Amino acid sequence: MPHRTSLERLMPWSNTLQMPSLRQWTPYAHTALVWVFACMRLFAQATATEENHAGHVPIISGGAGYVHNVAGGAPVLEPQVDPVLLVAFGSHVLLESRTDFTGVFARENLTSGPFKGKVFTDVEYAQLDWLADTHAIVVGGRYLLPFGLFNERLGPLWIRNLQDPPFTASIGTRTTGAGDGLMLRGVAAQTPEMNLQYSAYFSVRSDVEQLGSARAAGGDASVFFPRLRFEIGGSGQAFLQDHHINNGAAYVSWQPLEASLDVKGEYDASYYGRGYWLEAAYKLDHASSHAAIQKAQFVGRIEQVFPQHGGGNGLPHVDSTRFDAGLNYYLKDNLRLVSSYGRNFNSQQNLNAWNAGITYRFTIPLWFGEER
Amino acid sequence: MNLRAIYTCVLVVPLGLLAAPAPQKSDPALQPAQRGNSQAQVQAGERVFAANCSRCHQAPMSLSPRITGTVIMHMRTRARLSREDEKLLLNFLAP
Repeated sequence: MPHRTSLERLMPWSNTLQMPSLRQWTPYAHTALVWVFACMRLFAQATATEENHAGHVPIISGGAGYVHNVAGGAPVLEPQVDPVLLVAFGSHVLLESRTDFTGVFARENLTSGPFKGKVFTDVEYAQLDWLADTHAIVVGGRYLLPFGLFNERLGPLWIRNLQDPPFTASIGTRTTGAGDGLMLRGVAAQTPEMNLQYSAYFSVRSDVEQLGSARAAGGDASVFFPRLRFEIGGSGQAFLQDHHINNGAAYVSWQPLEASLDVKGEYDASYYGRGYWLEAAYKLDHASSHAAIQKAQFVGRIEQVFPQHGGGNGLPHVDSTRFDAGLNYYLKDNLRLVSSYGRNFNSQQNLNAWNAGITYRFTIPLWFGEER
Repeated sequence: MNLRAIYTCVLVVPLGLLAAPAPQKSDPALQPAQRGNSQAQVQAGERVFAANCSRCHQAPMSLSPRITGTVIMHMRTRARLSREDEKLLLNFLAP
C-alpha cells in the first residue's frame, strides 16, 4: 500500500481534482455545525450580569436599499445590501465585519438602450476589537479610516441624509476607504461637560482583492460636549505610498436638544485640492402635532471644491459647486423613503442630479435569548 | 485511538455545551433600583443614549435585550464611548 501523507489520511480526496461527495462531507459538516451552535450558545451565555439583562447574542445587522439616480439625464439603478456581522466573545472582545454588495446598472448608451451593469462586492471592514479599558479600544484587521465625519460615521446608506457623498469624501480615505493594520481609539478624558475622543492608526499597503489598502498613518481627535450636543474635531493623515502627501480635515457637528436638527460641516485639504461641505437636516418631530407630518425630514447641503495640481484622485478636475435639497420620510425608525435634487455647477458643464429610493436597517439575532 | 473515537470526542464536547443548563440570571421581575440600578443611573443612561446616538443616526425605537450587549459593544467602538457610558447604556436599555 503506497505511503499516504497525513493530509491524504484526513482528506482522502485531496490528491484528486474532484470535490468530495456529499457522503464524504457529511461527518465534517455535522461536527462543524454542532461546534458553531455550541459556540453561539456560549457567546449568548456570556451575557447578563447582576447589573442588567443585556445579552451578547451574535447578530447580523446592516442596511439595505434601492436608489434610482439620474445625473445629467442618465439613469443609474443602485440596489445595495450591506450586512454587518457582530460576534461578541464575552464583554471585552468583538468581531465585526461589513460587506458591501452594490449593483450599478446603467443604460448602454447612458440615456438610451437596455440597462447593463454588475454587482460590486467589497469587504468594508473586518476587525477584531479589544475593549481594553475605559480609555482604550485596540482594533486589529481591516477597519474604516477615521478621517473627517463621512467615511466612518455617515457612510451606511440608512444613516446618510443625502445619498450622494460630498465631493471631498475621497480626501484622507484613499485608496479604498479602509486600512489594514492596527488602530487605537477611545476616550482620552471624560467629564460630565465634555469627552475628548481619539483614534490613531497605521495601515500597511495591500493589493489583495477585496482587502486593498494604502500605506498610511493618521489619527482623529474630537471634543464632544454632551449637554450642548456639539462636537468639534480634526483629522490628519500621512499617505505613505507612491506620491507621499499629507491630508487634513476639521469638522463640527451639532444636534440641539430643543429641535430635531442635525447640522454638520467639514473642511478638507489635500495636495490634490481642498473643499468644504455644510449640511443641515430638520425632522418635523416638534413642528407638528400630526404623526404623519412628524415623520418628514428636510435636508439641505452646500459644498465647494477647489482642485490643485490637476485634482483627480477622487476629486473633480475643475472648481465645482453643488447644492442639494432632500426630503426623507420615516415610515418606521428603520425604514424610510429618500429623495433629493442637486445641481452641480462648474466651468465645464452644469447638471442636475436626482435620486429617489428606500432604505432599511435590519437586525437579525443569530441565537435565542430572553425577550422582554 | 481510531478515527471513530476521535470523532466521537470532537462531537461530545459541543453537545455537552448545548445540553448544559443556562446560567442563572437575576430575577427580571426585580425593578432596576432593587438590582442596584438607581433611577439616577437609568436617567444618566438615557441621557448618554440620546446624546450619542443622534450624533450619527436616528435612534432605534426598541432593542431586544438579548442583543443589547453586542450592539452597545459595537457602538462603543464606533462612537468611542467610555466603559462608564457603556454601563449606563446597558442599565438603561436592558435594566
